[in-house]
Amino acid sequence: MLSKSLATVNPCSMCMPMGSVLVFRGIENCMTLFHGSQGCSTYMRLYLAHHFREPVDIASSALSEKGAVYGGAANLKQGLRNVIKGYNPKAIGIATTCLAETIGDDVPQIVREFQAEEPLAKDVTFISVSTPSYAASHEVGYRVALKNLVQTLAKRSMPGKQSSGKINILVGSIVSPADVRYLKRLLDDWGHRYILLPDISETFDAPLSEDLPRIPLGGTPLNDIRDSANSLATVTVGGLLQEPGAGDFLRKEFDLPHKPLPLPIGLEYCDRLVACLEELTGEAMPESYERERGRLLDTMVDAHKIVADARTAVFGDTETVLGLVRLMTELGMRPQIIATGAINPAFAEAAAGLAPGSRIMTGADYSEIAEEVSTRDIELMVGPFTGRQTARKEKVPLLRVGLPNHDRFGASHQLMLGYEGTMHLVDRLANALIESKESRPA
Amino acid sequence: MIVKIFEGREGHIQQKGDDCLPLSCNNDSLAGAVSQRACVYSGARVVLNPLTDALHLVHGPIGCAAYTWDIRGAASSGPDLYRNSFSTDMTELDVVFGGEKKLALALRELADRFHPPAVFVYSTCIVGIIGDDLETVCKKASIELGIPVLPVKSEGFRGNKNEGYKAACNALLELIGTREYAPKSRYSINLLGEYNVAGDVWSVKPFFEEMGIEVVATLTGDARVAEIQRSHAARLNLVQCSGSMTYLAKKMEAKYAIPYKRISFFGLQDMSSALRTAAEFFDSPEMKEKAEEIIARETARVMPQIEKHRARVSGRKAAIYMGGAAKAVSLVRAFQELGMDVVIIGTQTGDRDDYQKIAYIVKDGTVIIDDANPLELKELLIKQGANLLVAGVKERFLAYKLGIAFCDFNHDRTINFEGFEGMVNFAREVDITINSPVWQLPVKRESPICSGSDLTISAGVEDAIQEPCHS
Repeated sequence: MLSKSLATVNPCSMCMPMGSVLVFRGIENCMTLFHGSQGCSTYMRLYLAHHFREPVDIASSALSEKGAVYGGAANLKQGLRNVIKGYNPKAIGIATTCLAETIGDDVPQIVREFQAEEPLAKDVTFISVSTPSYAASHEVGYRVALKNLVQTLAKRSMPGKQSSGKINILVGSIVSPADVRYLKRLLDDWGHRYILLPDISETFDAPLSEDLPRIPLGGTPLNDIRDSANSLATVTVGGLLQEPGAGDFLRKEFDLPHKPLPLPIGLEYCDRLVACLEELTGEAMPESYERERGRLLDTMVDAHKIVADARTAVFGDTETVLGLVRLMTELGMRPQIIATGAINPAFAEAAAGLAPGSRIMTGADYSEIAEEVSTRDIELMVGPFTGRQTARKEKVPLLRVGLPNHDRFGASHQLMLGYEGTMHLVDRLANALIESKESRPA
Repeated sequence: MIVKIFEGREGHIQQKGDDCLPLSCNNDSLAGAVSQRACVYSGARVVLNPLTDALHLVHGPIGCAAYTWDIRGAASSGPDLYRNSFSTDMTELDVVFGGEKKLALALRELADRFHPPAVFVYSTCIVGIIGDDLETVCKKASIELGIPVLPVKSEGFRGNKNEGYKAACNALLELIGTREYAPKSRYSINLLGEYNVAGDVWSVKPFFEEMGIEVVATLTGDARVAEIQRSHAARLNLVQCSGSMTYLAKKMEAKYAIPYKRISFFGLQDMSSALRTAAEFFDSPEMKEKAEEIIARETARVMPQIEKHRARVSGRKAAIYMGGAAKAVSLVRAFQELGMDVVIIGTQTGDRDDYQKIAYIVKDGTVIIDDANPLELKELLIKQGANLLVAGVKERFLAYKLGIAFCDFNHDRTINFEGFEGMVNFAREVDITINSPVWQLPVKRESPICSGSDLTISAGVEDAIQEPCHS
């Protein structure tokens, strides 16, 4: 085996600003602007358009040589002005790139100046986040953007210790629009009031309509984010392995109890979310979900022999991988390789606990994953489409789960959360193994 | 002016027939306007990446490498090293202490693991800021490893995509002429600005060979390093994507006395004149005869199929938004062949000459736009009543959301459009998207009990735009 290489060969992660887009796009009437060179916006637009099959507009301060030498304030201000004129947003999320960070621009200060100078800025909320691409992966970009969002907006408005009684549901990891729709439906059916953010359920999966708004409709309203400080408690779904983020901020700042949970993938993790909601609301899960849970169990029983002992390689974002591994162990599958491109010690520890004996990799690239795949007799790979070259080379089927998925349809509609999403995953896992066996010459 | 969204964009949009100054172009994109352009690095990367057996190492943070991994649909007939993504994955420490050491070690390690015949090292924004001396590191590595290690000066912020093309061409120039070669045929050419997207070159090259011409190198589609190294031995350069490769052609002309001719392999007319251009250059009567024979034979072969599609699309209105101007110009002619009108034409990187040429070939009323953005495109598509947009993936979903057919003509398309056969594929693509029944499905449902289901929530957008084209 090669020792940890100095160069990355076929990356299994993306850069920080990418994560911020997934947060800003989940805010109502919000545009994203990258402070940096034009390419960053264009590349990430392209990347996300491929995945979600939606138009993705991300503005740029389009820094040029002059900006890089003399500072990017003028470009950033012009960029903000044009975004306001062109898109009329209620909020602008500003994420830095490595260029802006390295030349040392003080974005919050530039924004304050802009607000003082520019009448157009009066009704716009600015959320700035520092996301130098070299500092960490897209997952961290997502987390810090979510934290900054809450930090910028959340304000206590209720007297004393009074609470609005709402529950904050923070989507702590990148999931699909269908997943967010599922969480909302669950909470709606529960009948308890909640604030969910970021909400990409409509914004990254918009219906075809007669008019194309400049900013896609939907997303968490700014007032809800402000109001999150008044809530009863915070649950971060997909927040188990992440460093302190938005939920912790709300706990420290406003004394809201915070429950970080894994993504509800697999029976146990789904039950954990449900139990947490029952505890917080004092109400039982709606009956229809009990039946859904039963259907999941029924599906797991039906599939158990097909998937039994299947040797898998699971890779991608930390929380998604963890949920997938938990589900696999519940089914009697054998995850052999558990990998993420992120550097995240909590992930390594949790994965080792779930699947002892498996090869756990953090900060991994696909060349390292491929090496492991070739020596461990892997039957199924599960993760983003970027694993396809490895899969093809090693002649192992790849079940595409998570971002990015550029070469198959349905990334936006793929439901993996909850009893229902898990049930779909079980079906897909079983079918992938069956199809793989069928395609082999008899 | 036909659309006005951003101040400072006035000079970049014109309608032919307007009495106005030449189009503004080839300058920095307007901040906040959501330009469809990428950066210097991207320009360099798209030009060089199709070189199949080279190792392409991105010196920068992981994003630059991740988003450009296997970005082109450039096909290979053999090696696939170019389909990997190599990055020095710079971290905070590298930014503080400099990335030269890491780069040098990475080069050694990668050369050892992958044995490439050459390495391209791309610099990214951050490298330009922290001041890593790429040239020296590459020179040392080149001596140590015994292979060309070529720095590509592509710091993202140092201009637009055109600068990246130049940086790529400069790196290629380092390779060209480093390997001796005597072409087997008296008649030899290079194809410049041909990237073998979706295997394009394979439906072009055989015709030149049939004419007795040896294609020494394609730059850079399906190319090997060795072919580039000996490409100075060819007698003629045919330049397709002029935006990216005219610079190189001029340099090769100055250095190796190889003349160049601009051609295009897209559309029946252009493909035919490309063959004729070569035959005329070599001034061989047999070759000219052969070219005419091929043109007559191939045209007769594909015409019935193209006619079938033409009958279904002629009279419809097309909008073109391309990266480079050469493709855009070729598309205008191809649409003429299909009997379609071009109502919008734009590019990311066209220069003054390009736009003059475009203005000359399009009809009055056609909108010409430089460095467009989604808001302008949207408004133009609706105002000009376009039935089809030809562009890249970023624009695809804009068209679809507006109920407008779309044809992918960018570097990640998967269908070959070049040569005679390619025109059949293109005609079919245009036909199946324009005439798809999906455009006839009612966006508003007829309800027996109320006035109709409306999917839009509260639009809250003050667009003066009326009905999109869900006809």
